[in-house]
Formats: sequence, C-alpha cells, structure tokens
Amino acid sequence: MKTLRALGAFIKRDFLIETSYRTSFVLQFLGIFMSVLIWRFISRHVTAPTDTPGLEGIDYFAYVLLGLAFYHYLSSAMLSFSAKIRQEQMTGTLEAMLLTTTSAGTIVLGSALWEFLMTSVKVLVYLGVGSFWIHFRLDSLLPCLVILTLTILAFSGIGILSAAFILYLKRGDPITYLVSSLSVLLGGVFYPPEDMPSWIGQLSRFLPITWALRALRRALLKGTSFRDLLPDMGILLIFAAVLLPLGALAFRFAVRRARAEGSLVQY
Amino acid sequence: MSDAILLERLGKVYVKRRSLREMALRPFARAERVEGLVDVSLAIPRGSIFGLLGPNGAGKTTLLKILSCLILPTCGSARVEGHSVTSDDRPVRRSIGFVTSDERSFYWRLSGEENLLFFARLYGLASAAATRRVRGLLADMELAEVAGRQFMSYSSGMKQRLAICRALLHDPPILCLDEPTRSLDPIAAKHLRQFIARRLHRDGGKTIVLATHNLHEAEEMCGSLAVLDRGRVARAGRLEEITARPGGRDHYLLVLSGGAPPPPDARWTVTVERRDDGTSAIAAEVDRGGPAFSDLLRVLLASGGTIVSCQRREQGLQEVFDLMDETGERR
Repeated sequence: MKTLRALGAFIKRDFLIETSYRTSFVLQFLGIFMSVLIWRFISRHVTAPTDTPGLEGIDYFAYVLLGLAFYHYLSSAMLSFSAKIRQEQMTGTLEAMLLTTTSAGTIVLGSALWEFLMTSVKVLVYLGVGSFWIHFRLDSLLPCLVILTLTILAFSGIGILSAAFILYLKRGDPITYLVSSLSVLLGGVFYPPEDMPSWIGQLSRFLPITWALRALRRALLKGTSFRDLLPDMGILLIFAAVLLPLGALAFRFAVRRARAEGSLVQY
Repeated sequence: MSDAILLERLGKVYVKRRSLREMALRPFARAERVEGLVDVSLAIPRGSIFGLLGPNGAGKTTLLKILSCLILPTCGSARVEGHSVTSDDRPVRRSIGFVTSDERSFYWRLSGEENLLFFARLYGLASAAATRRVRGLLADMELAEVAGRQFMSYSSGMKQRLAICRALLHDPPILCLDEPTRSLDPIAAKHLRQFIARRLHRDGGKTIVLATHNLHEAEEMCGSLAVLDRGRVARAGRLEEITARPGGRDHYLLVLSGGAPPPPDARWTVTVERRDDGTSAIAAEVDRGGPAFSDLLRVLLASGGTIVSCQRREQGLQEVFDLMDETGERR
C-alpha cells in the first residue's frame, strides 16, 4: 500500500512538472503525427519483395510503424531510469528522496513510471494515426497486452541496470549505448533481422526487442493466436526473469557502494 | 536523560577514485585516502540542542550524513535511538529529519506545497494525513501565504524554511540541521534560530543536532557541543566546560584613572596600556577563588587610583578557537 502510494506520488509529481512546460507537452504529440507522415511517404518508396522473411504479406509502412512505436518503450526504459536518476543526483533531490523511508527500489521504479505511461499514450497515438492506413487485428488485444507487459518488464531490467551504472559511474553508462545501438541495428525496428547476413542476424536473438517486435507484429498485423505466440512470450518471460532481478541487484549494489564512497549526490 | 545518539570510535575514510590518466601512469599505486572522521565518540542526550562546530572540511556534514544513512561509516558504530545506521537504516530514517544546506534539493517548477506533499507520500503518509501535516507545517513556518507559488520564486529564507518543513514531515524525534542559517540575512537567521529553540526544542521536545561554523549561533543555541577539526573531536562537553579558562584563572579588564600599576604578584598577571585620555587599561589574569581579586583591587585603590570600570571577560568560542590555534591543539 505504501509502495503504491509512493508510486502514485511520482506520477503526480511528473505530471505536474511535465504539464508546467505546456508547449513542449503539446509539441511531442505533434511530433508523432509528423513522424508517422514522414514514414508513410518513405514507405511508398520502399518495396520489399513479398517473400522477405518477416515481411511476408505485410506492407513496409505497417512493419516500420510498429517497430518505431515499440522502440519508444526501449528508449523510455533506457533513458528514463538512468536519465532521471542522473537528473535527481544533479538537483540534489535524489539525496532528499533517499532520506525518506521509501526504498531505493521504489524510488528508481517511480522515477521512470511517468515516462512509461507517456510512452504508452504515444504508442496509442502512433497506432491511432497509423490505423488510417493499416488494418490492425484488434482480436489480438489480449496477447498484445501480455507481450507488452513482458516487454516493459524486460526493458525495465535493462533500464534499472543502466541506472545502477549511472549511479556508480556518473557518466558513460555502457548499457544504454550498447543496448540502444544494437537494438536499432539488429532488433528488427526498421528491417527484419532475418534479412541480414545470418551471423549478424543470429545476434539479434539475444535482444529482447527482437522477440517483442516479432510477437507484436504477428499479433497486431496477422492476428496470430495466443497459443502460437506462447514461445515468443516464453522467451520474453525469461528475459524479464533474468534482467529484472539483475537490475534490482545491481542498483542495490550501486546505492551501497555510493553510500560507502559518499558519492551518492556527486555527479 | 538517555542518549538519542551514541557514537563510538566512528571513522570515515574517503577513497578517491583514480582518473584514467593516473591509472595509466601509476597502475599499481594505491588510491589516495582522505580521513573524513577519525575516532569520533560522542553521546548526544535526548532533548538537547547539540552543536557540531568546526571550520569547513572539519567533518560536520559527513557526521550528519552518516546519522541520516546517506553515507556508511568505515569503522566504529553510530546508533540513533538505539538503531544502528549501518544495519538498521529504516528505523533510523524514521527517527531523524535532515535539513541539508543544499538549496537545490526541491522541484523548482512545483509549488512549495506540491513539493512537500510529494515527500510526505514518500514518508508513507496517506493523502488526507499528508495534506493536514503539510498545511500545518507551512503555517508553522509562516509559508502558508506562498505555499502555492513555484519553489523557484522563493527567497533563500523561504527555501530554508521549506527544507525544515520537509525534515519534519514524519515528525522525527531528532532533527539534524546542516548550517541552517548559512544563506540567510541576520533577521531571518535570528527568527529561524528562535523557531528552532522555542518551537522545535522547547515546545516540541526534539533533539537538535546543529552543525555550524557560526560561533555566535552555537553559543546562543547549544547547551553542549563538540568542536570538530579535521575529522577529530578536538573538544566536547557543555558550553561552559568548553569555554572555561584553562589554569584556574579569571580574566578582567579594568580601566584605572590615576594611581600606579600593581606590583608583580604570583597570584596575578597584568598587562597595562596607557590611553590618550590619561587612564590605563589593565588586562588582568587573576587566580580564581580566594582573596586574590579583592587584593588586586585594594592595591590599585591604595596607589591613589580610581577604578573607572571593571569587567569580567568570559571566554567565547572564538577565543577557544584562537587558543586552539595558538597552542597547536588544532593540528
């Protein structure tokens, strides 16, 4: 109950801060419209062969739109945890929060919650705008929600891990750099990993975004049944089960080290 | 009166991180170590106002941060209301409110009230209780009128008072204040000192730990204190013990018109300064107790002089500091 109360306070805090910058708040949604339109026009000039693996019978616009929309979740996870922690370190509010009786784990989770909520709204806007040209299979909403939950959990694990690095190293978090760039390169955001040289394509199996995008596209664009999506969900579950505890342990370790070094608020 | 805080041989060593350049040039060299606190043992009685006095870098903030569980000690033990700061930090956080000297530690685009409500929820207060508590504290600190204004528009004094409100949200029995009047003008500083002494200490019964390098503030507020210097406790005790003259002598300043300086005597030492108006200023160190001071006055009067004024000079903390410097007590 106390944890929920604290998480609610984080959402309220970030809502108040975000909406105090009114223009920026509105512009980010306008940016989504622009992005969707740009990709709509680009996709007119990209005609992948119909037998391209992963793109069978799918319009490229539909493929890339889902890739972009859900890449936002990864970006949120990567940036919101570490960037928030760094920002709070720099403003001294991290120290003030750690003085309270709320646990460090709740603080790091709460710091990123608003970003995830906003990302979900943005993804809905992406899909809403895209639905003018794409027919989404709404009968697959249940598996979509399960996939989304597992994806957020797995990505959060990476995000918390990156926050732990920021807390300890202050700058130069290697996790954000590695996972973000590899995810764009190999994860199937803009093109199918199956279409890459096989030795590179194999590497994409170690990225949660590959499985998340594959499952979401199959569910939303092809209406694949819950049962057929279970193997992909299982892999996402394994990612979440490994990455979340790993992130939590790393963060706890980083807080302890920072307390021992006296560097909790150094940046 | 039992102890609210008990420190036993507390030590903190900071190990400086080596830069890449240093690691490349001297790969096997040990990292530089800086002693933040050395062998600090103190007992702070419940319900007292305890001063931590010392120059910048003396270890005052390190000590307060250890008590607030923000920094882990390297050795020794620190107990707050009986709980260890290293192994039992949750009850310690419940028992302590820490007012940092950092003005930035709020959300600048939120109002004072919104800031406090956020932190109140992190202290576990339910919605209605949080609102009641926050409004009560804002009224107590005379911030109710500006509660809805963005924090960034607050003056330094308002920011400092808001920081005190935040430290009191969970009504802790102990309040640690790190140089609370540092950025305040004299009037605001005086009001804050009065609020701490009257409302928080006298009426609220709170134990106050006040870190300051303001000697006047420490003298005015603290019943007992510790003088820290380079991480060590140089002196500790009740204010009158710390400021007591060494060697069992009292100091007086006499102004004498006419007459002659007193003859040398084992019971006193005098320094005489002739003034332009014909009087003499006599600084006298006289044996405490017994007839020595009366005898000195008798000698002065017998020489035909008139005593214009006589003042006993108490030793202040400034003089304690000066003396520590002179005698090398400050290493």
